[in-house]
Amino acid sequence: MIIIWKIIQDALFAAIAGMGFGAISNPPLKAFPYIALLAATGHSFRYTLMEYVGIDIALASLAASLLIGFGSLWLGGKSKYPITVPAIPALLPMVPGKLAYNTVFSIIMFLQTINVPEEHGKYLYMLMDNGFLSLTIIFFLALGVAVPIAIFPKKAYSLTRRRF
Amino acid sequence: MPEKEDKSLEDATLFMSEYIATLMGSGVHTSRVVRNSRRMAESLGLEMQLSVFHRTVILNMEKGCYSSSKIVEVPTLPINFRYNSELSGLSWEAFDRRLPLEEIRSKYEKIVSAAPLNHNIVMLMAASANASFCRLFSGDWLSTLIVFIAAIVGFRVRRILTRRHTDFHLTILSSAFLVSLIASSSLLFNTTADIAITTSVLYLIPGVPLINGVIDIVEGYILCGFARLTKAMLIIFCIAIGLSLTLWIVKNGLI
Repeated sequence: MIIIWKIIQDALFAAIAGMGFGAISNPPLKAFPYIALLAATGHSFRYTLMEYVGIDIALASLAASLLIGFGSLWLGGKSKYPITVPAIPALLPMVPGKLAYNTVFSIIMFLQTINVPEEHGKYLYMLMDNGFLSLTIIFFLALGVAVPIAIFPKKAYSLTRRRF
Repeated sequence: MPEKEDKSLEDATLFMSEYIATLMGSGVHTSRVVRNSRRMAESLGLEMQLSVFHRTVILNMEKGCYSSSKIVEVPTLPINFRYNSELSGLSWEAFDRRLPLEEIRSKYEKIVSAAPLNHNIVMLMAASANASFCRLFSGDWLSTLIVFIAAIVGFRVRRILTRRHTDFHLTILSSAFLVSLIASSSLLFNTTADIAITTSVLYLIPGVPLINGVIDIVEGYILCGFARLTKAMLIIFCIAIGLSLTLWIVKNGLI
């Protein structure tokens, strides 16, 4: 029961985060429910994979982004929004911001410990660790949108087409 | 070339240059810009060639043996998903209904002149998003509240600096510094201060250009993709510098 509550909580906060970060990018008003739904589903799916299945953050992000991408394609048929309009705001809560600026911190610390070999090596390791991980996660998040477009190009390209 | 033909090709080129500039400037990924523009040109009975760069687009429009070219400067606009959606819909409508240029233009003007979301609502939503992030990273409720307040102040300051045309990178750096400095007030309480400080600046992370950049690279627009990623990395660098200033002041260390 506690596990389900934790997953629901994760989904709820991800929905708020997706809508909030999405709002900065001025999406259509009617797209907000789709953004909330996709952000909640994707983020809680990633959380479940990481916490209860033991999958690493990069692969879990790939699985979640694909869920969001295909979900956005499916919902796009009804909402008439391009696949990226609900999908990108829904992916934003999974963008590894903390890892990205930890990468920059590692560069600064690496440069500051040039005369302290043992510290120097530690920060080089941190730089590689944070840098690779954040790049991989961002790449996987974008794949979540690119793969559905590559598999169903005709549908993905005509989501905003209306019948006249 | 007959004068009438000449005028219509010139008008179409002028309109297409505006359409492309708005799409590129408002954060639409490159392949969509190219597809929408090509569809729009086709609806006008014209052939179009595009060479897309991050800051400029070279546009050539052809009708029979006549052609008209323009180098389009891409403006720096806020990211706008509504433009992405509605301008894409407009290209389909123009294509399906074979709309004349005047009608396409009036619909375009209507889309780009619509008011954006209310700033205060966006500010509250972004601050709530940041506070939610604090919760997602296991911050407690007091930290969440502090992050919420810090994000509101940061959002306001960023708007003021943007209105005063302060340098973009300096604006991001100052916002990150101020937001994290306010969030560092959590050190005074028995709360999850580290989480509050590090999550306070997350709303500044340029998620949209990061994702668009990779989509561009995957879809073959490698130069545009790298340009977007480079711009995003510069923003992240500014956030990290702003945050590191706070960490040096309050913790005398970075990590």
